[in-house]
Amino acid sequence: MSSPTWDEFAELALKRIAASGAEYGDIRIQDSSTQHIEGEDRRIASIRDIKDIGFGVRVLYHGAWGFAASSVLSLEEVPRVADLAVEIAKGSASIALEKVRLAEEPIHRDRVVTPYRIDPFSVPLEKKADLVLRTMETLHRKSGVARSSTSLWARRDKKLFVSTEGSHLEFDLLAGQGDCTATALHDSRFASRSFNTPYLRKGYELIEEADFLREASRVADQAVEKVQAPSVDAGQYDLVLDPEHLSLTIHESCGHPSELDRALGYEANYAGTSFLTTDKRGTFRYGSPDVNLVADNTEPETLAATGYDDDGVKCQRWDIIRDGIFVGYCTNREVAPKIGEAQSRGSNRADGWGHVPIVRIANIGLEPGSASIDQLLADVKRGIYIEGHGSYSIDQRRYNFQFGGDAFWLIENGRRTRMLRDVIYHGITPEFWNSCDGVADRSTRRRYGFITCGKGQPGQSGWMTHAASPARFRRIEVIRGEGHR
Amino acid sequence: MTFHGDQWPNMTSREEFLFLSELVLTRSSAEHTMIRVHDRHTGTTRFANNQVIQNVDGRCGNLAVTVAFGGRQGTASTTDFTAGAIQETLSRAEKIAKVTPVDPEYLPPPGPCRFPARDTAKPETMTAGAPRRLEYANEAIGQCRMENLMAAGTVSSSAAAVGVAANTGLFGFERRGEASFSLTVQAGDATGWSAATHRSINHLKVQERTLAAISQAKRSRDVCELPAGRYPVILEPAAVAGLWAWLIRSLDAKSYLKGTSAFAGKLEQAIVDRRITLQNSPDHADLLGEGFSTDGLPSTSLVWIDHGVLRQLAYDRFTAKQQGVATIPTLEALELSFEGSPVDSIHDLLKKTERAILVTNFWYIRPVNLRDLTLTGMTRDGTFLVENGEIVSAVKNFRFHESPLDVFRHVNLWTAPMEAVNSETRKVLVPAVALPQFHFTSVTRF
Repeated sequence: MSSPTWDEFAELALKRIAASGAEYGDIRIQDSSTQHIEGEDRRIASIRDIKDIGFGVRVLYHGAWGFAASSVLSLEEVPRVADLAVEIAKGSASIALEKVRLAEEPIHRDRVVTPYRIDPFSVPLEKKADLVLRTMETLHRKSGVARSSTSLWARRDKKLFVSTEGSHLEFDLLAGQGDCTATALHDSRFASRSFNTPYLRKGYELIEEADFLREASRVADQAVEKVQAPSVDAGQYDLVLDPEHLSLTIHESCGHPSELDRALGYEANYAGTSFLTTDKRGTFRYGSPDVNLVADNTEPETLAATGYDDDGVKCQRWDIIRDGIFVGYCTNREVAPKIGEAQSRGSNRADGWGHVPIVRIANIGLEPGSASIDQLLADVKRGIYIEGHGSYSIDQRRYNFQFGGDAFWLIENGRRTRMLRDVIYHGITPEFWNSCDGVADRSTRRRYGFITCGKGQPGQSGWMTHAASPARFRRIEVIRGEGHR
Repeated sequence: MTFHGDQWPNMTSREEFLFLSELVLTRSSAEHTMIRVHDRHTGTTRFANNQVIQNVDGRCGNLAVTVAFGGRQGTASTTDFTAGAIQETLSRAEKIAKVTPVDPEYLPPPGPCRFPARDTAKPETMTAGAPRRLEYANEAIGQCRMENLMAAGTVSSSAAAVGVAANTGLFGFERRGEASFSLTVQAGDATGWSAATHRSINHLKVQERTLAAISQAKRSRDVCELPAGRYPVILEPAAVAGLWAWLIRSLDAKSYLKGTSAFAGKLEQAIVDRRITLQNSPDHADLLGEGFSTDGLPSTSLVWIDHGVLRQLAYDRFTAKQQGVATIPTLEALELSFEGSPVDSIHDLLKKTERAILVTNFWYIRPVNLRDLTLTGMTRDGTFLVENGEIVSAVKNFRFHESPLDVFRHVNLWTAPMEAVNSETRKVLVPAVALPQFHFTSVTRF
C-alpha cells in the first residue's frame, strides 16, 4: 500500500477539526533540508545534512488557540495530534476573557516556487568543500592572519498549508548564504573582519557570483589593518553607515518596534514591548523627512517574500515610516483587527512545522534617496564610515540602542582616510533617525537578511531581509569599545 | 514500518534506542559510526494581558548519524524514525564522508564508559500535560487580575529520551525532564519579573514567584531618573547569572591557545575575587545535571575557578588530547559560591547598604570587546535606588559597560547561592552580590 499523500493527511486533520465545532483550523506539513559546510582554521570542521519533517495543527475554538505538532507523519499520528490541538484549544477557551477574532482573508489556492539557476543541493560536495578550503588558504596568505573560518549554507523548504476556510498553498522555497572571516593578531590584540553574502532566496548562483577568493583577500588585508588601527577617540561624529550595517540597525530599531504583537504586550515577558504604541500611529515623528522605511514582502529573492505567510495571507508591500512619520505595523490575522485594520499585513510566520506562527518583522528597507556616496561623504568634516555587523544591544522597548560594526574608517574633510577600531555608537531610536540627513541613491542599494531573529516562547528564529542604501547621520555619540579602568 | 512499537506515540525507550543503534551500526560500512537520538515532547502555555495567547504541545524526534572513513567524516540527521528514513540518513552520512577531505583533528568516537546515573526524569514532570500548565498559568493570571495588574509569561514542561552510541562500544541512554515558569507583571509602564526552571514541576513555586513579581511591579511604579555614572550595585542572582554566562562562554580552550581569548595566558592565575569558586555540580538536586554530553562524554563534578584562580578551560576532544587533558570538564550544572560568611537574604544585603542601585535582571547582554570581555546590556524589570538600607525609589533603566573580570575582582557582600535563570541563560546557582562599583553608561526613557 502506498503512503498517503500530504493532501490526504491534511484532509484527515481538517475533518477532525471541523467535527469538533472549532471555528478555524489549519495544518502545515513541512519537509526541510539543510546543508551546512563549516571550515575552521584551514580544515573542514563539519558537514551537516539535516532533514526535518513534521506537521503542526492549529485550532481556534470559541476564540482561543490550541496547537499541537509532531515529527511522526502517519495515519495514526495526524488525527491524534489534531484531536490534541482541539483539546488544548478547549482548555485555553475555558479561561479566556477576550475572544480571538481573525481578520478576513480571501481563500487562496496557489503554488510558490523559488526561481533558481543552480540547485544548491545538486552541486557536488567536493566542489563546495574545495571552495571552503581555498577561501581559508587565501585568508591565511596574508601575514598576521591567525585564524580563519568559512561556511556555506543552503536550505529547501517544501511545505503545504491547508485551512478549514479552503485555502490550499504549496511551497518549494530555497535560500542560501556564504561567508568567510579572518582573525588577525597584533601586539597581543586580535580583531576579525568578515565577508558575508546576503541570505537570499536564490540558488547556488548566489555563491558563484560572490567571488569568495577576491573577497577573502580583501577581508584578510582589512583584518590586519584593523588590528593595527588606532582606537577611536570618544566624542560626537557624523556617521555614514553602509547597507549591511544598516540592515541590523533597521532590524533592531525599526523592525521590532513595528511588530504589533509587541506593541500590544504579547511579548512583554520575553522579547519586550514597543515604544511605537498604537496611539502614535499616523502622528509620531520617528525620523527626519529623509527617512522612508517600507515593508515589502513581494520583492523577489528576499527572505520574507514567500508568496503567503503562515496565516495563508498574501504577501504585501506597505509603509512603516513615511516621510519620517510612523504609519504602519507588521500584523497577522489575530492582531490586525485590534487596531481597526480589516486585513492582515501577512507577517505571521513560524520557523518550522513544530512552532506556532507569530508576528514577524517584514522585509523592512530604507528607501533610497538621491545623493551619491561621494556627496554623502563630501559634507562630513569629522565622521566615521561603518561597514558590517559588530556588537549590538537594545532595550526591550527599543529606545536605547548601541551598535558596533565590522570595519570602521575615519572620514576627514569629506574623504575616507584610515581604519579605526573599537568604534561603538549609541543613542535613542527616534533621536537617531531624526538625525538622518541623507540617503544614497538606488544604485547603491543592497539587501542583507537574518535567519536568527529570536522571538517567541518557545524561542523561534525569524527570517527577513532589510535593504538600504548608505545613509548619513549627524552628531552621533561614539565611545571606545574596550575596558575603561 | 516505524520503531515506536506498542508504546507509540510514547517516547523512545532504552530498548528501542538499543534496537535503533544496532540497526545503524550493523548496516554502516564506515570505520567509525556514531548515532545520537533526541526524542523530545514539550508543551508551553503562554499568556499575556491576562489571557492565554498560545497553548502548544509538540513531539520532535531527531536521529543523527556521524560516520568516518580514515578521518573523513560526515553527519546526517532526520526527524523521521521509519526504517527507510534511517537507512537513507546513514547513506547520506556515508556519502558525505566519502567525499570530504581528511580532517586533521578527527578522533574516533569515545569508547565505552559507565555514565553516572542521575535523577534527571522526575515522574511529575515527565507526565505533566496541558492541564497542569494551564492550572499554573491560571494561578499567575488570577493573582494579577485581583491586583488589577497584567500578567505575561509561560509555563512549560518537557520530557526527552536521549541516547548516544557508537561502534567503539559507547552506549548511553537517559530520560530527562524539565519544567519552567516565567512571569512579567505589568503595572502600567512598571514591570516586575520572576522565573524558575527545575527538574520537578512541583518545585516551580508559582504562587511565591507570582507574589514576588507583583510586589516588584508595584514598587517600580514611581520612577525617577538618575544620571549615568559609576554606582555601587546590588545584583540579584539573575543579573549575576547574565554576566557570568558570557565569562563561561569565553573559556574555549582552542581560542585560549591561539591567543584569541580574553583569558589568554591566565590559566592558573587569579581572574576574580579570591573568595569565588565556580564548579560544575551535576549531582545537585536544584541543578540540571546530566549523565553524559552530546559528544558521549560523562558529565563531571569539577572546579573551574578555585578561589579566584582559573583551573579549567572548555576543551573540544582534539584540543584536550593535544594538551594531554585526560578528563574533559563539562559545564551543564554550574554553581558559583563564596568562601566566608554570606548574608542571609537579598533583604539583608539591602539592610547593609548605604547607597546602591539594585538590579533585578539584565537584558540583551552582548560582548563589546572580546579581548577584555567588556559587555553591554540593559537593566530590566525592576531597577531601584537603595539608600540607608531601604529601597527609596524605582529608577529608569540603565545601559552598562562592564567586564565581569573587572567587577568581580572585589565583592563586598554576598548571599548563599540561589536558583537563577533568565531568558538568555540556563539554570545556575549563584548568589546575589553587592559590588563596590558598576559603570552605567546611559539611561533609557523608562
